[in-house]
Amino acid sequence: MAALVRGAVLFALAIGLMLPSAIAVAQNNAQHLGVASCSGSNCHGAAERPRGSYVPGNEYIIWSTRDKHRQAYTVLQGERAVRMARALGYPDAVNQKICLDCHADNVPQEQRGREFQISDGVGCEACHGGAQNWLGTHISGATHRDNLAAGLFPTEQPLARAEKCLSCHFGDSTKFVDHRLIGAGHPRLPFELDTFTSTEPAHYVVDRGYVERKGRVTDLQVWATGQAVALYRRMDALLDPRHGRRGMFPEFALFDCQGCHHPYDSLHAPLPTGTGLGPGTAKLNDANAVMLETAAARLAPGAAAAVNAHLAALQRTTEIDPAAMPREAQALRQVARSLANEAAIHEYSPAEIRALADSVIAVGSGPDEWRFAHAEQTTMALEAVVAQLRSSGQLDSRQDAAVKKALDDLFASFANEASFRSDNFAAALREFQRALHG
Amino acid sequence: MKTVLTALLLLLATPVLAQGPAPGNPAPGNPAQSNTAPASPPPMAMAANSSATDVHLGVASCAGNNCHGAVQPAKASRVAQNEYLIWAQKDKHSKAYAVLLEDRGKRIAANLGLPDAEHAEICLSCHADNVPAAQRGPQFQISDGVGCESCHGGARSWLGTHISGVGHAANLAAGLYPTERPQARAERCLGCHLGDEKRNITHQIMGAGHPPLGFELDTYTAVEPAHFVVDQDYIERKGRPDDAQVWAVGQAMDVRQRMVELLDPKNVPKGLQPELVLFDCQACHHPMDQVQWRARKSTDLPPGRIRLYDATAVMLKVIAKRTAPELADKLTQHLTALHKATNDDWSAVQREAVIIRDTADQLIPQLAKHQFTVEDGRALAQAVIDNATSGDDLDYSAAQQQTMALSSILAAMKLQGLVDAAHLKTMNDALGGVYQAVQGDQAYKPDTYVAALQKFTATLSP
Repeated sequence: MAALVRGAVLFALAIGLMLPSAIAVAQNNAQHLGVASCSGSNCHGAAERPRGSYVPGNEYIIWSTRDKHRQAYTVLQGERAVRMARALGYPDAVNQKICLDCHADNVPQEQRGREFQISDGVGCEACHGGAQNWLGTHISGATHRDNLAAGLFPTEQPLARAEKCLSCHFGDSTKFVDHRLIGAGHPRLPFELDTFTSTEPAHYVVDRGYVERKGRVTDLQVWATGQAVALYRRMDALLDPRHGRRGMFPEFALFDCQGCHHPYDSLHAPLPTGTGLGPGTAKLNDANAVMLETAAARLAPGAAAAVNAHLAALQRTTEIDPAAMPREAQALRQVARSLANEAAIHEYSPAEIRALADSVIAVGSGPDEWRFAHAEQTTMALEAVVAQLRSSGQLDSRQDAAVKKALDDLFASFANEASFRSDNFAAALREFQRALHG
Repeated sequence: MKTVLTALLLLLATPVLAQGPAPGNPAPGNPAQSNTAPASPPPMAMAANSSATDVHLGVASCAGNNCHGAVQPAKASRVAQNEYLIWAQKDKHSKAYAVLLEDRGKRIAANLGLPDAEHAEICLSCHADNVPAAQRGPQFQISDGVGCESCHGGARSWLGTHISGVGHAANLAAGLYPTERPQARAERCLGCHLGDEKRNITHQIMGAGHPPLGFELDTYTAVEPAHFVVDQDYIERKGRPDDAQVWAVGQAMDVRQRMVELLDPKNVPKGLQPELVLFDCQACHHPMDQVQWRARKSTDLPPGRIRLYDATAVMLKVIAKRTAPELADKLTQHLTALHKATNDDWSAVQREAVIIRDTADQLIPQLAKHQFTVEDGRALAQAVIDNATSGDDLDYSAAQQQTMALSSILAAMKLQGLVDAAHLKTMNDALGGVYQAVQGDQAYKPDTYVAALQKFTATLSP
């Protein structure tokens, strides 16, 4: 939480907004009143937009009918979770802190209000913060700034949103999906902030009222900030002694999944990669770092070079120079920290957006450094590019249709990770590039 | 592996029956094996001392049509004399060098940063008879691959004795390598099929594209295919081979060598990377949409940890339980402790590996002397099956070793001539189903495998 507060404050300083200094502080011990306190038909459970409302009012409906966060608790009762719990030696999943911390709004008992239901899963206050102190302000139609001052979490700010989402979608100092959980059957955690915001699906609409109250945040700001936060979170995890080597094993969750999990009869091995590690070694998952490097090339070219150099050095330390690992991880963490602030405010010109897309595509098409996790992140980066071009009116309807189809094809080209082939993916990338510039 | 199993299936189509019944009572213990010393350090004190440094004369010096290159099996000779032709036409060892020149060999070399594979020591040390230049005779060709003298030893000092027909013992004394002895054969084969102190088979090679190494001494001897025929004359000269014994000694030697590798300073975990070649391939190389983890009491490892390859060790536990129960308990206890230590404490890994290595060393000479009876065979087959169906050990690597174990046990029963042909055929047909269930690691389904095993079990009793 400290990191979160610091992140939010840094963000505020960076953009020079007169954000309340007490931002995100009040929520720590506030009671969570429960989903039921938000879902009234006059509030966020409306079938139609309530008269005079700033927001569509159907946020609860979207969440409860389409958003997987709603099912987060329920899946703990499913067959997979029962099996996982057994493998982990737990009587069940629904009563385990380690599961509930991300599959529900698992605040301490004394912070649970009367209508709070743990079975609501990842409900409103899991992201927006316990409403005890801000619900009154919020209902009274105060400004957004007043709500934030009262403790509403600033999810609209890229850095704050990244911190909040990644605390479960990657992990933080108290939550982490380690390889023990994955081995027991937990799915791996691919994540990209902008794409996941839109596929959640988002329960907000960016219209004039929204922009007036909360400011305009672009898809690429969200994307790049998400990459920076993911990278420094990753470094925090790597530096955490609890994830250090145990016996013969590293914490495999920090490594590239498909680096090991591939059928070996396909001669999967690529050419020696730019990691400097030879074939047959596990590689740290560096997809966020590689993406951040392309973003940094627009934000701060010196930082891009630093990401590149420290990443290569870090990969080597996993085998060749273990003593240098903390130093390199720290260095990468620092660069990512400083880039997060830049990333959250950078305005991309139309030419820059296309140049960024080209450099993402170049990474994705290169003969080297090629892995499934990169394909995934490359595609989601391009999704963010398309979203930004679209929302800023830079795609005419013909282009929009072509780009949409190319993006769908790109997703389809790696839909099956077992049969993933980098050359098929590179071909789909070239098609996308043609559509983008066509 | 797939090709090996395909070959095995082909073999099964013409089952063990085709090897011809072995008449008579079990022969007394192979006298050549009675003096095997406990095996630490490496047990090859028994290899003739000259063969390591002797000149290798080349395949051509063996391939004459009066010698081992006869087109038709010779009638009057002690051996069939078509050994060269079997090797040249059917045995992959003769292609071992040639594959280095193919696309896969080229790609592996490129991935390893080598200019090519056919000049690289790391490749040649197993893909050819890569003795130093000073030991290469005028007819020696590196391109012959894994030729006669790779296994039988450099012939300069023994070829004269060998041609003069003075007897096997004299040949051995002159330096011929005793491939008929299970322990010696295991050591020779495992040198490449697992690796030894000279041949460093690492995960780097695997990552570059080398196929995984699955090996079981008796089954691989049969599918090579063997270029010897066990007849009365063979038994008189070399003793009666016993497939169960070859299997058992092969497993013990395999476990021993794995412990030696685990203890090798070059395999000490550095940084975050363990030497992955020591581990079970499918522990990592499985698709992630298959939730496959099962608790294994015998490893006591939590999910998400990879396990050391232990399929041969599990077989050795089964073998020891029948032949040396006190060592079986020791093995069981320390194998579990070893697995557990991989997740806790490197020094405990080393401690346990030493105990297991030494236990294998104790077992090797015992197994090399043990007379495996038909009752032993049945009991071992049942124990191998029970091990699988108990659910504790249904990993692909285990299923592979269990299947090959059953194949070896069947071959032993057949060779002893105590199972009638019709019954043997029924067992062989059922074993074919088991082989089918383990044909590919990616398609492997434990349930299908267990069902096939159960069908096989039903054929075990006469």
